Amino acid sequence: GPQAPTLSELMRWYCLNTNTHGCRRIVVSRGRLRRFLWILLTLSAVGLILWQCAELLLNYYSASVSVTVQFQKLPFPAVTICNINPYKYSSMKDYLSELDKETKKALETFYGFSEGKSKVRRSVGEWDSAGSDFFKQIPLLKFEDFSKTATDLRSGQKRKIEGSVFHKDSSIVNSGDSNDIIGFQLCDANNSSECALYTFSSGVNAIQEWYKLHYMNIMAQIPLETKEKLSYSADDLLLTCFFDGLSCDKRHFTRFHHPLHGNCYTFNSGENGTVLSTSTGGSEYGLQVVLYIDEADYNPFLVTSTGAKIIVHDQNEYPFIEDIGTEIETAAATSIGMHFTRSRKLSKPYSDCTETGADIPVENLYNKSYSLQICLHSCFQKAMVDSCGCAQYAQPLPAGAEYCNYKKNPNWMYCYYRLHEKFVKEQLGCQQICKDACSFKEWALTTSIAQCLPSVLPLRTDLANLMVFYKDLNERFISENPANTLVILLSNFGGQLGLWMSCSVVCVIEIVEVFFIDSLSIVMRRQWQRAKKWWNDRKRDRSGKAPQAGELERQGHDNPVCIDEDLPTFNTALRLPLPQDSPLPRTPPPNYSTLRLESAFTEQLGTRLDER
Amino acid sequence: MNLKKYFIRALHRLQKGPGYTYKELLVWYCDNTNTHGPKRIIKEGPKKKLIWFFLTLLFASLVFWQWGILINTYLSYNVTSSLSIGFKTMKFPAVTVCNANPFKYSEVKHLLKELDRLIEAALERILQPTPGNGSNTSSPPLDLELWHQIPLVLIDEHDKDNPIILDIFESNLAGLSPASVPPQCSHQGSGNCTYRNFTSAAQAVTEWYILQSTSILSRVPLQERIRMGYQAEDMILACLYGAEPCNYKNFTQIYHPDHGNCYIFNWGMDEEALNSSNPGAEFGLKLILDISQQDYIPYLSSAAGARLMLHQQKSFPFLKDQGIYAMAGTETSIGVLVDELERMGYPYSDCTMNGSDVPVKNLYSQYNTSYSIQACLRSCFQNHMIEICGCGHYMFPLPEGVNYCNNEDNPGWAYCYSSLRSSIRHRQICIDSCKETCNDTQYKMTISMADWPSEASEDWIFHILSYERDMSTNVTLDRNGIIKLNIYFQEYNYRTISESAATTIVWLLSSLGGQFGFWMGGSVLCLIEFGEIIIDSLWITVINVISWCKGLKQKRAQARWWRLTPTWASSTRTRVPSPGTRRCPLSPARPHPTTTRCGCSPSTSSGPTAMQKPSERRVTAGCQHCVCVSPAEQSSPLRSN
Repeated sequence: GPQAPTLSELMRWYCLNTNTHGCRRIVVSRGRLRRFLWILLTLSAVGLILWQCAELLLNYYSASVSVTVQFQKLPFPAVTICNINPYKYSSMKDYLSELDKETKKALETFYGFSEGKSKVRRSVGEWDSAGSDFFKQIPLLKFEDFSKTATDLRSGQKRKIEGSVFHKDSSIVNSGDSNDIIGFQLCDANNSSECALYTFSSGVNAIQEWYKLHYMNIMAQIPLETKEKLSYSADDLLLTCFFDGLSCDKRHFTRFHHPLHGNCYTFNSGENGTVLSTSTGGSEYGLQVVLYIDEADYNPFLVTSTGAKIIVHDQNEYPFIEDIGTEIETAAATSIGMHFTRSRKLSKPYSDCTETGADIPVENLYNKSYSLQICLHSCFQKAMVDSCGCAQYAQPLPAGAEYCNYKKNPNWMYCYYRLHEKFVKEQLGCQQICKDACSFKEWALTTSIAQCLPSVLPLRTDLANLMVFYKDLNERFISENPANTLVILLSNFGGQLGLWMSCSVVCVIEIVEVFFIDSLSIVMRRQWQRAKKWWNDRKRDRSGKAPQAGELERQGHDNPVCIDEDLPTFNTALRLPLPQDSPLPRTPPPNYSTLRLESAFTEQLGTRLDER
Repeated sequence: MNLKKYFIRALHRLQKGPGYTYKELLVWYCDNTNTHGPKRIIKEGPKKKLIWFFLTLLFASLVFWQWGILINTYLSYNVTSSLSIGFKTMKFPAVTVCNANPFKYSEVKHLLKELDRLIEAALERILQPTPGNGSNTSSPPLDLELWHQIPLVLIDEHDKDNPIILDIFESNLAGLSPASVPPQCSHQGSGNCTYRNFTSAAQAVTEWYILQSTSILSRVPLQERIRMGYQAEDMILACLYGAEPCNYKNFTQIYHPDHGNCYIFNWGMDEEALNSSNPGAEFGLKLILDISQQDYIPYLSSAAGARLMLHQQKSFPFLKDQGIYAMAGTETSIGVLVDELERMGYPYSDCTMNGSDVPVKNLYSQYNTSYSIQACLRSCFQNHMIEICGCGHYMFPLPEGVNYCNNEDNPGWAYCYSSLRSSIRHRQICIDSCKETCNDTQYKMTISMADWPSEASEDWIFHILSYERDMSTNVTLDRNGIIKLNIYFQEYNYRTISESAATTIVWLLSSLGGQFGFWMGGSVLCLIEFGEIIIDSLWITVINVISWCKGLKQKRAQARWWRLTPTWASSTRTRVPSPGTRRCPLSPARPHPTTTRCGCSPSTSSGPTAMQKPSERRVTAGCQHCVCVSPAEQSSPLRSN
């Protein structure tokens, strides 16, 4: 049971006996001002404790970062090398001749360009105005003064474009452009009134985009084996190779077919289970290759730059050549120095990253370890398959889907562009779903370029010399560690409680006991008593016997035996001498009468008596 | 009067302390304090008392020592930095592109005509020092007025102590063989002379030319200079941001003294800054620029290409310091990593949030740009320049009411400028008064290049571009004048180093509390207790002093004063002997009422109710029991009756 019969008594008892400091002062202090001050101080101390502890809790999940640099034998990363041009133009002729013809026609119509000055002559077939369906599918249009008339390429006639079609009302376009604008129109095949217009400020971009769209259509229909054959072989691309001072050959390279860059070759892909490592830093001990870039065999519309693309990545990572590849110039020696950094973040609840990607609801379409790029691309591909019914050419196929082409999915381009726009504007939710990987490796590249001497390399415009090496064999490891442990948190809590109130866990328990359990039980008891009294009153009203019961109660209360039962706790609590020691307190009547006034106490004893 | 009364009453309340002499107070304090040591001192026997006294003293000093260390640690304001790398949606940087050449040569030719002839003649003299070989006999006489302001001279340093200085246009250069003497040139100001030495003639001639042309061009009004530079529609041929088209109108024009007209994409001044939420070239900015190399000023800039710089939105691009060149005839791909440094402000490090607390007037604020240390240093230099030389330097913006320096109005400016520039003192003043910004963003670039356009595609690309530029079917562009730029975010696009306080106030308090609690079991409230005791003792002192003063005067008056404090008047002393206990050492019975601290009135302190009063003192068993009851409280049980 509680230590005191009433709430105020309980409070007093608590204040006198608790181990926290302020409370006792409130009771011990003399004078109202002092007492008030002490109440104020104690309350502010309690407030401070709560605030500071809240602060501690909120800052619990913070990480501290440690950066270690250690010198060690580093594994050499995988280096993927691609020609910028995906397929040999000469061998692609069968597939692309129609498209090229149309493109040239477009150039002629819009810009008055005609072939002839070209250094590399290509056979230009007879232009037949009929039979091509590229422009039927996606007409290239030219707008004059950004008005609503557009010149169709094929017919040359002007046609009206509805104002609602201009979806490019985005912030970036300035209207009122006096220049001609070129673009193309994509219409929903099922509902021809729904069209989207894609405009470009320059014809270069427009034609490239337009060409690429058709190109993807054509390539989507070619099986992988054929495509691999159409692209460059390892012998075509790699002329010489040295690694760590020793010569290497095409067996050290693994072929990897990239949809947009054709055959790429990965050095040190770790496919046969061994990962090479360098013994020393410096350009001598890295990878040195001479690449043959057959510039004459380039596709003129698909790619406009010459060279190779390389990417340095981990053996488990997928090389995103088109996004983050480093370009290599021809007729030059490019040396790429690497700095290796490994990072590790703490996952939840410290930061929002994922360890393996397993907790992300996006299927990993790439057969490689998780990265943000993989997630974004997979997410887009999934959305594409869901809404357009076919897969985009540049990304791997999900199970059961196939690449888009006109014949099967006449609507796909409109659908793709719409989707892509949503993706870029973050309306597809991919950027929200995909999270960073918690641990990743990064090779920071420093590129320097030197011109090759013509006398050294006779075919110099077609050759590119590439060196990839570790600048030093230092591994920088950035790792996050929890800044706070439970022990630190608890000792900080202890410090705070101790500082403000000299309180401990025991006193917290005490508070819970006194303020919650005891006071609740007192309140409950009082309520019970009140109810009982009310009941008794009712009974008394009925029978008239009740007053006698009241007399009895009182008499029972006056009996010192009954008091002794409860009082000792009181006295020991106050650490007062027992009443017997002093001669004075042994005069009970006035006190009992005061006690009698405290009805709850009385009632309580009464009930006890009743219970007996 | 009322106030005074109230004040006195309040004082009396305060005065109702636990004792009336220092000793009583101290004993009371020791007995009642919540720190653990003092109680032991008064409760134990004399030997233990001593031990406890020293122990308490030792622990108290330990606490203070530890506190000193902790507070020192806190006041040193250490920081811990945390580093994070990853990808997130970020603002695309502002991209400033300029031509390496500030003005079209065709436009400024008439202004620089004299200078060009002069420099040609000078070059000829340097290359062929013997007179007579010169081929300029047929040309009209040179205007040597320009020359005499800042002449180029050769310095013969064969004899280290007496170098021979020769004006290039003076005739007797025959004695010098240029092979053995590196031509060391200098500018000469009026009055005082200073020589700037160069080991190479090429360098000297370029510097000299820049100085001269600066002086000439600074007289041309700004509008005219902007007109003479490259226009946006001529320079920016194609632009594509992500999948969205953009054109030269999305660029903000800014005039840069070194590079003429510069154009800034995504500056964020009027419109919202663009975000990029995807890594990779496909989602970045693609630009095709025309730098028209054939229209370059021959002696001014020796590098050809585009100057570009990535910077933060609303910050001024300091191209000369942070810009990079892009080569003509190539496609330059720039992978961007945003390197952010977030520093804690004062007092952790001496940095500024927005530059408002820097004592240098930021001249770049006229561009509406944010503060940066570069802007501050330049403004500081310009302010010094105006103060000392009386005119502003052409490279930096002008405050109101000041003109740019030129040779006509300010003949000595070049000397003034170069002496100011080499003055370490002035530089130090600027470095000291400028602070770095707390949030610093740098764009780390990974640059790679490929040839562009490829041989196969150059025909149609040049054709389209020249058609779009000047509506002609002829190819007016060539490989030397065209640049393609791709600027995009890398796979990991941010690296943030942020500082956080190593020691927070929470940490400090909990450590203080931990120490105090550990050694003495105390809390802040104990300190307040201590303060209270000090106030009480002060009060006792006041009483004593007053009573002493009054005692000197009159005994009666003193007695009356005693009666004023009611506690004294009514308090009586009662000793309650407890059987079989030893004498409590702390409350000795003294005959005089002033030395007793407790008065127990038999009539009221009896009975349990009185014992429950808060004024009752807890005394361990075996000691004397004294119950202090103030009259006010004595009356309280009666009142409750």
